[in-house]
Amino acid sequence: MQGASKAGIVLAAGMLLLIFGLVVSISVGWTDMGVVSGVKSLFAPSTSQEHLIVTTLRLPRALLAVIIGAGLGVAGAIMQAMTGNPLASPQTFGVNAGASMAVVAALVLLPHLPVPFLAPLAFGGAVMGGFAVYYLGAAGGMTPVKLALAGTAVHLFLASITEAFILFHQHSTDQVLFWLAGSLDGADWTDVNRVLPWSIGGLVAAFFMARSIGIMRMGEDVAKNLGQHVIRVRTICGIIVIVLAGSAVAVAGPIGFIGLMVPHLTRLLLGRESQLYLPITALLGALLLVYADVLARFIAYPYESPVGIVTAFLGAPFFLYLVGKERRAS
Amino acid sequence: MTRRQSIAPAFLLLLIVTAIISIGTGAVSISPREVVESLFGTGPKNHSFIIGEYRLPRVVLAMLAGAGLAVSGAILQGMIRNPLASPDVIGITKGAGLASAIVIFLFPKSPAYLLPLAAFGGAAVVAAILYVYTARKRVQPATLALVGIAIGVICQAGIQYLMVKNPGDVNAALLWMAGSLWGRGWEHVWAVLPWILVFLPIAYSLANRLDVLSLGDEVAEGLGEDVTRLRVVLLVTSVALAGACVAVVGSIGFVGLLSPHIARRLVGGKHALLLPVAALLGATLMVAADGLGRWLLPPMEVPVGIVTAVIGAPYFLYLIGREKRRGI
Repeated sequence: MQGASKAGIVLAAGMLLLIFGLVVSISVGWTDMGVVSGVKSLFAPSTSQEHLIVTTLRLPRALLAVIIGAGLGVAGAIMQAMTGNPLASPQTFGVNAGASMAVVAALVLLPHLPVPFLAPLAFGGAVMGGFAVYYLGAAGGMTPVKLALAGTAVHLFLASITEAFILFHQHSTDQVLFWLAGSLDGADWTDVNRVLPWSIGGLVAAFFMARSIGIMRMGEDVAKNLGQHVIRVRTICGIIVIVLAGSAVAVAGPIGFIGLMVPHLTRLLLGRESQLYLPITALLGALLLVYADVLARFIAYPYESPVGIVTAFLGAPFFLYLVGKERRAS
Repeated sequence: MTRRQSIAPAFLLLLIVTAIISIGTGAVSISPREVVESLFGTGPKNHSFIIGEYRLPRVVLAMLAGAGLAVSGAILQGMIRNPLASPDVIGITKGAGLASAIVIFLFPKSPAYLLPLAAFGGAAVVAAILYVYTARKRVQPATLALVGIAIGVICQAGIQYLMVKNPGDVNAALLWMAGSLWGRGWEHVWAVLPWILVFLPIAYSLANRLDVLSLGDEVAEGLGEDVTRLRVVLLVTSVALAGACVAVVGSIGFVGLLSPHIARRLVGGKHALLLPVAALLGATLMVAADGLGRWLLPPMEVPVGIVTAVIGAPYFLYLIGREKRRGI
């Protein structure tokens, strides 16, 4: 079982890297404490300043990166499997933009709305954005180009509506803008608690569906012949994607390109199909976002930058690489 | 004159009517009759001043920018052979946005004329990158669109980075990026007019070759067309138009996407007719959207770019839906 051992190695190495990333993530930043004292401060007496910073600010932030990264990665993997389109992801499919618009609209129009309601609203927006792109792009078979153009058009439209909301409510512009770029800065335990139930639910459901998702990747006809209830699988997977991506947006804003990049990286590492495809995609998503978040603290040091900017700078060249690969393949 | 050709003068009339209504709309309401009288120099003095100094340049600018963006979009759609292409979708507008964000945030004390220059420069840089891709042999036009999208994403990330780092000036930048005709005067009209006067005729002269290109690369080459060179010429024309417009009025979306669509439905795909009708429609759309933006929530002005997006996008979805049912 060479494939299994390869997956095992990737899993182990990924775990180690993730743990290292978490340690770095809780140690560095504006109050730089070094890796050793960062870890030490976790167990330090609760009165020390380092302990306070690490447990109330850095630890929830790092965990949030893990949860959201894993969720976005898996959401992208499911979308690519369902559409058979290598460019599918929450970002390119208008899901992120729809969820962001819903959240900004809620913040502006219903300022007294309790925060937990933001996630369901984001789901609504995500459904809307996703359907609009599907509607625009699906005519006569959704090629990568059609998906990208439709996704960008819908994205631009939703972004200008979002912009309108911001322009007319200038008092909270800065915060909203920061959030809109996709950011983990200022995360605390309530954020973690808000996103955790949705993410765990979505991830567990995705792992249960892993077999069906793997079969769907072979194409609709094959899936039908193998006895898959295609419409049911599609619906369940659609809901999983909406929950994973929508809850991520509700808490951290639209963080792009994790869902686009990570499934490809997984395939690059694992080679052919593997039973561990989804778990490793989740792991890589977490890894990517944790490290991107560390990077985000330094590109404009001492100011925080939204992590979404880092993922966009990484993701756009990757997108081009995929385009080139597609072209050579066809 | 066929029925299709007779549509063009009808749209000219529609544009004039829209413009007169738009000129009359605002904090001081002026009746269409007085607008016409003032335009011919026989109206009451105070209204003539408002119209001549504020309303007229604004409406003229809206016409020029609307026409320029519409033709730019029509060229791109014909060249990429995809009805979803437009200057905003393939990153040209974002390039202009990034350049002007750099000016607004990093050089806040720079003189006012620098902003449009920088915006044009940004659009040109994006165009140059796209050019490198187009000029290469055998590049699918679809690839061009995807490269443009990726460039747009990078520019957007850059804009966000600047906005987050400089929270103080964000609203000015946001207003610019939404696209607005607020405070625009004759000097802006003079700035954009030469570009329109030069490149609209060039675009029109390329109309027949755009038709040939839409038959596919092989057919076009069989008919003796140098496809790669033609694409480069088209790209330059399209970018010059979009860049000049965006530089003056900000990144106004959906005019470049929507106008060619409506035009195509009305007069068909022949560019000799499509381009002028798209230009008239773009101008009408822009003038109407600007008037609407002034009229909606006084004393506030809704930026014209937001009006075009809010009106344009649902209509666009509807159009695509219709075309889908007809199996295009």
